[in-house]
Amino acid sequence: MTSVEEILTTLGNKLGEKMLQTPTPQLGKVSVRVNAGIHRDALKILLDKDESAGISAITGVDLGETIEVMYHVRTHGIIVTIRTQVPKKDPRIKTITDILPGANFHEKEVADLFGLTFEGHPDPGRLVLPEDWPKDLFPLRKDAEITNIENKKENITALDEGNQSSDEGVLTTVIMGPQHPALIEPEKFSLKVDGEIVKEVKPRIGYVHRGIEKAAEKRTYLQDVYLVERICGICNACHAACFCQAVEAIMGTEAPVRAKYLRTIVLELNRIQSHMLLLGHAGLEIGYEPLFQYMWRDREIAMDTMESLTGNRVIASFVTIGGVRRDLKEERIPKIKAGLATLKRRMIFYKNLLESDPTLKMRTKGVGVLERQDALKLCVVGPVARGSDVKMDVRKDEPYAAYDKIPFKMISYTEGDSWARLMVRLDEINESIDILNFALDNLPTGPYRVRVPRIVPAGEAISRVEAPRGELFYYVKSNGTAYPERVKMRTPTFANILSFAHIAEGGNIADVPASFVSLDPCFSCTDR
Amino acid sequence: MTKKIKLSPMLKEVVSQIFRVPATQKYPTVRPKVPEGLRGKQIFDINLCISCGLCASDCPAKAIEMVNVEGKKRPLFHLDRCVFCYQCAESCPRNAIKDSTFFELASTNKYDLVIKPEIDHEKGSKE
Amino acid sequence: MSLDFTLVFRALVFPGFSFIVLLTFLCDWIERKIEARMQNRMGPTYTGPAGILQPFADFVKLLAKEDMVPRNTRSVVFKLTPVLSFSMFVFAMFFLPIDGSNVILNSSFQGDLIFVLALVSVANFFLFLSGWSSSNPYSEIGATRVLTQFLGYDIPLSILAFGPALLASGLSISTIAASQRIPFALLLPWAFVLFIIAVQAELEKDPFDVPHAETEIVGGYETEYSGRRLAFLKLAKDVQIVLGAVLVVELFLAGPYGPVFLDIPEFWYTLWFILKVLLVVVITEYLTCIFARLRIDQVLVVNWRVLMPLSILSLATAVGVAFWLNLGVG
Repeated sequence: MTSVEEILTTLGNKLGEKMLQTPTPQLGKVSVRVNAGIHRDALKILLDKDESAGISAITGVDLGETIEVMYHVRTHGIIVTIRTQVPKKDPRIKTITDILPGANFHEKEVADLFGLTFEGHPDPGRLVLPEDWPKDLFPLRKDAEITNIENKKENITALDEGNQSSDEGVLTTVIMGPQHPALIEPEKFSLKVDGEIVKEVKPRIGYVHRGIEKAAEKRTYLQDVYLVERICGICNACHAACFCQAVEAIMGTEAPVRAKYLRTIVLELNRIQSHMLLLGHAGLEIGYEPLFQYMWRDREIAMDTMESLTGNRVIASFVTIGGVRRDLKEERIPKIKAGLATLKRRMIFYKNLLESDPTLKMRTKGVGVLERQDALKLCVVGPVARGSDVKMDVRKDEPYAAYDKIPFKMISYTEGDSWARLMVRLDEINESIDILNFALDNLPTGPYRVRVPRIVPAGEAISRVEAPRGELFYYVKSNGTAYPERVKMRTPTFANILSFAHIAEGGNIADVPASFVSLDPCFSCTDR
Repeated sequence: MTKKIKLSPMLKEVVSQIFRVPATQKYPTVRPKVPEGLRGKQIFDINLCISCGLCASDCPAKAIEMVNVEGKKRPLFHLDRCVFCYQCAESCPRNAIKDSTFFELASTNKYDLVIKPEIDHEKGSKE
Repeated sequence: MSLDFTLVFRALVFPGFSFIVLLTFLCDWIERKIEARMQNRMGPTYTGPAGILQPFADFVKLLAKEDMVPRNTRSVVFKLTPVLSFSMFVFAMFFLPIDGSNVILNSSFQGDLIFVLALVSVANFFLFLSGWSSSNPYSEIGATRVLTQFLGYDIPLSILAFGPALLASGLSISTIAASQRIPFALLLPWAFVLFIIAVQAELEKDPFDVPHAETEIVGGYETEYSGRRLAFLKLAKDVQIVLGAVLVVELFLAGPYGPVFLDIPEFWYTLWFILKVLLVVVITEYLTCIFARLRIDQVLVVNWRVLMPLSILSLATAVGVAFWLNLGVG
């Protein structure tokens, strides 16, 4: 593992105009500050050193006169942040999508919400805001007045091309969404098809945008824990845990050991029920209803465990700043372990099924293939990456909670098709059951919560958590008051949406739901 | 050697499921077993309240409103805005807000979803 | 010819129209109940004892809903096709012996097997037209898939249907049903299995469920229908399922014939008929539950590369079996 110093010295040697290295309160994180044009060179240096480096997120922060743009690059298992500042009077910066195509949506989002222009971006336009949002109102700037929007709306004359079935030459445009039985949440995908072959896919997201990043700046840290939990119902504990870890890093406190184990238990329960939800949903999309019904019936074991542990089936409200909110009583543990044993037995059946059922294999093998090179270029995360032989898992790269003390395997498959992605999730359920058993057996005694002050000292921190869908990334900056200065969340589906366009092109239109569901999209997370 | 053609296990499973009891819970004919820690409706004990207002300022959903009851400020709970996170119960320094597992709160009358602080007659909320 | 009261009774009440509709509701209920139990849930439970009135309740509910005709449709075709396809299916059922003889007593003739298969094709074609006349791109895609599928699978269906005809040396369904002292399912087991697969594809059930793939094409050809027309379209599909099951029963399982007690042949024949139809419905439902849905190109591959050659082979072996039987029996 390359250490932090090595990366810093390489960057220092090769760059030279590197301005100053900002110290961060967390160990192992690197942050350098460069001039506005040099960020591309810094990125190229990091890519030369490690061909599997990728953009994790691009954050914008309003600093008054300038806007700070931070490129968080994921390399060698850690995050290297390249910071640069852009004056508000001339908000232009060069794009990096020619080096890393996966930064497309990240840059578009910063452009949309802060008003920057990325020169050379292949497809500028709105991403999360609606088409008729007023042109010069940028919500995440500190001086934006978001009042009286109704009277300031733009007039949009024509919506995008291809209403319903217009024939341009030989290509027909089929619009999938925003309401469509294949999608559980609304997003629009314009597919240009030629007969049955899909030629081009254009995603348009932002239908569920609720402005949570702005809302987080107006609530206290304690209220923000509940707010970020509600970004996504399925991976709610991961959002809460990530945010709490970031705030604890700023404060310099650590949750007690028992709390870390309890957090691990809830996070793994989240993972089990999310993967089971997806496998059942995949069964429904390819027309295999008994798989859906059986999987969701067995998922109830995980939901009941979650309910007895945290008090609620879906939104756990269990993790808080400084630990967890409730304790797990000793007498409940045997019942939980009995439920886990039933689940493990059922998983043998499902693994057998996915490996041997002929019609299931006909629908998922060889469908929606994502090659390893494309996976690296598009900076995908989670089971989508692990199904294409990219070995990345935050629990192994930068262990958080109690993962450094619990042994487990990282699952990866090499085929890169929908079947591989479904098998990754199935095996991860087995691993999670083992992690849970280990954690329940070795739960340390002690306090489960420390009291923290309500006012957080000034500072900033990054925290990552392996949500069921991939790497979840939070950046929190505090200015010494009870309200945060900036909270940035980059959810895993946001990083994976581009790969959908890539894997759907060239395939059948009938394969679109099957390959789509294997990506496990969660649009509430994407749009925030 | 010889590759065994694995038959899909679904063939047997589907047949065996016909003879099992359905997994559906027959709610509301059959009452469910409610787990102990379920976060249901809050119970407010007015005699312990000291009018500090911490519950209202900490509520993430802004569902608690401090109203004037007989000269003192007491919390009024708007259950239609509440997300049942129980931060109010944690923030209260005197433990005046207690939890319960009563969850069947649906109603056609909006005023059923408000817990009004009242002294003397009913201790706390209507059940 | 004066109006024959028996004829009217047979055509309208039993074993004609009303009986067919009631049998459809019964088969629909059995299908939904078995499918639910296979998926470990309850199925219809609350309407009537054990939910047996559920299909009827669904039909009546749809009749009461608003019936909208979208502006851009070819409205004559759009309005007529549900009822037309329903009546074609019911009419085809009139030629199949239910209680020992046809609905219209002397309406069976040599070659009515081909006539029934042709009626089924025409009725399916009306289903295609119902999707084609809607102005919705999803309906058009669904309708073309229906057309591709049933036209393709009609060929092996007909070829396989000739196997029993060879064994019975006649093309009338009544003759075929009556001449099965040993059910042809035992004499031609491979033809029986292939015929069930072909019927599964004709009826558009899993794994050949493509025209109803809601996750891809919303509602298929049913998308723009509502109210009464949707009720009839759904009823037409259900009668199609019963018709497929009845064809299997007549051609391979000795039709309504079975042991008779107490010398009331009509009653026992009807009873055996209903039981056998329910058995075939359960078998097709089992096949539905154990397979996922294939893509349209995979469906066509199964048809042209697997089912067609096998059905021609089965016809050839049926000739052999017929020859051997006639040699043995004399």
